[in-house]
Amino acid sequence: MEAVKEAPIPAMDSLTAAMKNNIVPNQEYLLQGSVLDSAVEVLLHRLRGLCDNVDSGPETFHDHEMCFSISNVYFSVHVLCPLHIIINIIFLLGSVTPQPLTLRVRRAIDYLDMPYQLRYIGQPELGDKSRPTILRNSIDVATTPTIVDFLTEMGFRMDFEYILRGYMFRKGRMKITVSKIFKMMVVGKPAPESVDPISQSYLVELSVLAPSNQDAIAEDMRVFAEQLKPLVHLEKVDYKRLTQPPM
Amino acid sequence: MGVTIIQQFPMKENRTGAQIIEFLTKRVNALGAKQCGTFLVDCETYASIPQLGVQRTLHVFHNSEQPASVFAILDNGTGKTVPVVADALFDLLLLKMSSVYTSKKSKVEIRGPRFELNDFVIKIGAININHNVKGIIVEAEYRPCVVFGLCWDMLREFLQGFLGSCVSNIPPHYFQNRMNDIFQPLDTIQQYLDHITIYRKATGILQPFNTTNT
Amino acid sequence: MQREDKQLELVLENFQSKLNEFKAQIYALIFKLEHERDNVNWTTVLDTFAVFSTQYTAIMKYLSYEKLPQLRNYSVLPLMLNPERDEDLARITENRVPALSHDIVPDFLRTKTEPEVEHKLMQVEHKAGGLQFETAQKQLAAFNKVVNHVLDLVSKAREEWEVETGARVGIGQTSSVADLHTLVSAVSMGKNLKPMVPQVSPGGMMVPPTGRPVTPSMGPNTPPMGMMPKPPPGMKTNVKAAGAPHPYR
Repeated sequence: MEAVKEAPIPAMDSLTAAMKNNIVPNQEYLLQGSVLDSAVEVLLHRLRGLCDNVDSGPETFHDHEMCFSISNVYFSVHVLCPLHIIINIIFLLGSVTPQPLTLRVRRAIDYLDMPYQLRYIGQPELGDKSRPTILRNSIDVATTPTIVDFLTEMGFRMDFEYILRGYMFRKGRMKITVSKIFKMMVVGKPAPESVDPISQSYLVELSVLAPSNQDAIAEDMRVFAEQLKPLVHLEKVDYKRLTQPPM
Repeated sequence: MGVTIIQQFPMKENRTGAQIIEFLTKRVNALGAKQCGTFLVDCETYASIPQLGVQRTLHVFHNSEQPASVFAILDNGTGKTVPVVADALFDLLLLKMSSVYTSKKSKVEIRGPRFELNDFVIKIGAININHNVKGIIVEAEYRPCVVFGLCWDMLREFLQGFLGSCVSNIPPHYFQNRMNDIFQPLDTIQQYLDHITIYRKATGILQPFNTTNT
Repeated sequence: MQREDKQLELVLENFQSKLNEFKAQIYALIFKLEHERDNVNWTTVLDTFAVFSTQYTAIMKYLSYEKLPQLRNYSVLPLMLNPERDEDLARITENRVPALSHDIVPDFLRTKTEPEVEHKLMQVEHKAGGLQFETAQKQLAAFNKVVNHVLDLVSKAREEWEVETGARVGIGQTSSVADLHTLVSAVSMGKNLKPMVPQVSPGGMMVPPTGRPVTPSMGPNTPPMGMMPKPPPGMKTNVKAAGAPHPYR
């Protein structure tokens, strides 16, 4: 290991500096769509033609995602330090309304030695018509598998879990996933015989994780989404409308 | 990555932390060790809000030896601890939890010079709790080996060589059930936590003791 | 006669001005190519050539205008050839023609194509004229056949392509808005994914964390409706303690 020549900078300080310089990837630009099982082959074929990883073929994945939440009963903002205030302004915009904090844990079922992924996702912002994609805060952290136990002991409760199986493509900085969502019939058992697809369609997501103020990428995404029409219509799904019963 | 053990060095009367570090630096230099920068281990402690029931304590560590990682150790209040090692952005997630876990405002920092001597890395640091020096901690790492049980004797002898009799012949408590496990960076952090806990508990007692002696 | 001369002079003057204009444009292009070679792009050059082409057509049209005196009826005769440099001539021609010598006169004053070219042209014309009507018809038919065949190929390919895209449109629906909403609300809010029996125990804690192989013994095909049998309180801690022999694994 190389010796550290300069005095080490406290981790929080370097994090604050990174935040100020806008190099922390904390924004996710997102478009979502779906494709019927019968047409997924056509879509995969087209994506193979459009995306970067042509030679190796699409990357497959088989993941288990668990959604945890913690409720603070009453909501209060604790001011810890100036850094906290900064971060508050930048990040906590979505949490002004009292609602439970939700974190997601994702693990690969097909690669057991991969790190687990812990993820915070903020409220999606639709923006006006001129914005081509949904924008939401996102903090992605790789962790050890102990994270599930860790969150549980912290007081988090698992709200729901599901299985994802599908294909991942890349195009520059864009990530395209085509995934089938399965409900787990038995809690904690992701075995193939105990899962059930929740719909006759695949979920298609086009996303880019980027630092703040990189709106140019959204335009690239719009152009890419255009190329998948009419097979798949990638759109800004309005989450608020989803909570209401379908018309 | 090798095996690391952490040892307290007693504070002496009429001596500041800096003086003791200087004193120990001379000793390791005499052994032929070369200084290679400095090191920093920090720890922030959070407590769960009363609404969550049993109070849980969360310790979050950074170590300059593993600058891209965050180490978090949760004590669930009923005797179970769960550690997690994560990417640096974990700190941002913690800020999200600030409404359920609040800082206990007792920041601990261990800072000091870092030396290399062939297969060994030696770190001599002053432990600061809320910017007051509470003691001296010496960290010794033997890099070619990853199993504590296989190199404990040598490490002990090595430490005794320049620290003297304050190094016990009994392996640290933390390793008693882990003699043959593969050593992980988290094991270093766990030892730091053990020492910090001792200092924190002792602070109340040591404080008057120190003031009467200085 | 007088009138005709005047008209001729007028025509030549017009002609000359048009030519000069044309020349200036060509100069401009050459200048551009020589001095701004790096900044010239092919589209502008192409545009310039299009302008040249129209200019040329305009000039030819002007010359073939009926009411104009036919210039071809006038002849130019070289009265004297001189190999020496003629300063006047050089000046008039902007140094392109320094002397009216034997070398250049045949080319400059030529009114007919070169004998060699003329001969070749004659040959071709003769061959075309000597062709039998039937042979011509035959060749025409053969050529038509080839062209039609190519046309067939192209239209067939096009048809196939259209059928294919048509079929793809014909699948009609490849995506469903309802499915999208089902999927998104499941993934984002856990709709239809939440366990049917709430598993919350008093302390806000839940029964053993999912995704770990430490769940109490359960057959792989435990019916989903029963969900997890709630372990007795005492068992809970046992299970958990056993779940983490080395927490960093």
